[in-house]
Amino acid sequence: MFKAVGKKAFMKLMDSLSKGYEIAAPRKFSNKGVFYSAITDAGDIYLGAEFTVEPVKKLFLMPSEWLFENRFNDGKISLQGGVPPQEARKRIIIGVRPCEARGLELLDKVFCSDFKDSSYSKNRERSIIVGLACSKPDKTCFCTSLGSSPAETRGMDAIIFAGEESDEMMLEIITDKAREIFAPLEDAACEEHRKKLESEKKKIKDPVRKINIPDALSASFESGYWKEVSSPCVSCGVCTYLCPTCHCFDLVDEERKRLRCYDGCCFKDFTQQASGENPRPTKRERYRQRVFHKFDYFRKNFGEHLCVGCGRCIRHCPMKIDISEIAANAPKNK
Amino acid sequence: MLKELKAISKELLKTKRVDVILAYKRASDGVSAMPCFIFEEKDIDKMILDSYCVYNLSNYIKDFPDKKIGIVAKACDIKSIIVLLQENQLKRADVVIMGIECHGVIDEKRLCPGERPVQDIGFNEKCRSCKSPLPAFCDYLLKEEEERGKTGRASEGDGYASIRKLEAKSPAERLKFWEEEFSRCIRCYACRQVCPLCYCPKCVADQTDLAWFSRASNLKGNMSWNVVRAIHMAGRCVACGECERACPVGIPLMELNKKIEKDVKELFGYEAGADAEQKPLFTCFDKKDPEDFVK
Repeated sequence: MFKAVGKKAFMKLMDSLSKGYEIAAPRKFSNKGVFYSAITDAGDIYLGAEFTVEPVKKLFLMPSEWLFENRFNDGKISLQGGVPPQEARKRIIIGVRPCEARGLELLDKVFCSDFKDSSYSKNRERSIIVGLACSKPDKTCFCTSLGSSPAETRGMDAIIFAGEESDEMMLEIITDKAREIFAPLEDAACEEHRKKLESEKKKIKDPVRKINIPDALSASFESGYWKEVSSPCVSCGVCTYLCPTCHCFDLVDEERKRLRCYDGCCFKDFTQQASGENPRPTKRERYRQRVFHKFDYFRKNFGEHLCVGCGRCIRHCPMKIDISEIAANAPKNK
Repeated sequence: MLKELKAISKELLKTKRVDVILAYKRASDGVSAMPCFIFEEKDIDKMILDSYCVYNLSNYIKDFPDKKIGIVAKACDIKSIIVLLQENQLKRADVVIMGIECHGVIDEKRLCPGERPVQDIGFNEKCRSCKSPLPAFCDYLLKEEEERGKTGRASEGDGYASIRKLEAKSPAERLKFWEEEFSRCIRCYACRQVCPLCYCPKCVADQTDLAWFSRASNLKGNMSWNVVRAIHMAGRCVACGECERACPVGIPLMELNKKIEKDVKELFGYEAGADAEQKPLFTCFDKKDPEDFVK
């Protein structure tokens, strides 16, 4: 179901929805970039071409999350809290890109399958995902190489097509949840709009670069290739923290609280053991781990690559390391 | 300049004067540069030199502890090599510095997809107050073939204009400013990892037994991390700008570094990375020190 709406009418609806729902959307901060933020004034919602620095993952899997707290009462220790009570409020997340929505589907395989992570799944249940088709894919994007596209609607409740110049936007409503929240919007769609949308979808798919991602990498495990390609890596956490699918964490005890904090395989101390031994002592093992987790192990375990081609790790890598090229050029044998 | 650089590099590798050359090559996007490490003569042709060669390659010196290193370095990068020499992290005989003339590197970070063409990206903030395009401390000085006209940067003052603006604010206003900035910090430690002078084998932030400050990415932990990082750079930071460039969330770390640099200059008359023979600021004392406890 399509709706053609003016941007103003859309923002007005968001303002009125903010009474009943929590609203999160990209917001642009000059000179800093675009960040998902809690929205109190719909005028702050940014639906332009620029991508958010952090992926929507951050709203489901928090950078540091309070799991439980221990207390002393009358000489007895008790565990309290668990995940702090989430606000029961429903949440609308606007402006989620197709690659990020795919990323959530991949995270579901880890946090919402045999084992259900309570806080992650609660966040999933309470969120309505209103996507945004990418009007100008970046030069680092490669989503079409991983089965997605700039107008893909998987994992979304609705998707917006908004040209930056045009004041009108098209809304494709996918699920009943979205039908309910967008019911007040008047539908001005006609046959012409439909045609325009189809041609738009086709147009934005083309500029995305296509990379030949291999199905498995295991043959190259011991290759000298990994030492070479990992040498510019500085072992920071930019690629893993900004990745919509990376989900490794560390448990940290602070005061009486246990926290779950992001952690990443590129850090030197990620695999540091208490004995002093580190099974991944150099950048070669650490960077190889990242590429293998994305393009080998995850596929073996869950049938899909753990990458959605959003390009964030390439865009924000301080040293311009390009994982898409590295995976594509990995040797087919030793 | 590039031709000359390649010739020198070839000679250095051939005569085994160095084992590896830290240089720049083109990144996969065909526009940007990225670091490359050349061990063999046949790879010399990968080398490039242009205003995209932003990175301070001296950060990679620690990756080659038992090798003789040749390094391509701009005037600002060389300052950090000087500090490494002062702090005994490097022997002068183990490094061959190929200093290159630099008229400013680009600020690629401010480039938004599709918004501005590449040539409009503009020069990095640090280049605006750079005093000399020519490095003074090096083994080979590589100049551009044609002499350039005067670049506008000398006229842009000492680079402390924004610091004075911050200093003029009240402590409460300043705290608010930094809290807003640090609240975005994701604790990826890119600022630490790209810093050529952050070479501690075990960073204070990574110590878990006992932990010195919160590892959680909340305001308290973020504030501790960023302040500790800045203070550890006092009298050492050479303002190469790598930390601010690497920060994915746009925290203006150079404002903090520059403030400390300015204080160190005013209090002790010391400038980091100026002279390899000089002792590091915090390893020596002077009877003229403004604090009483020294006397």
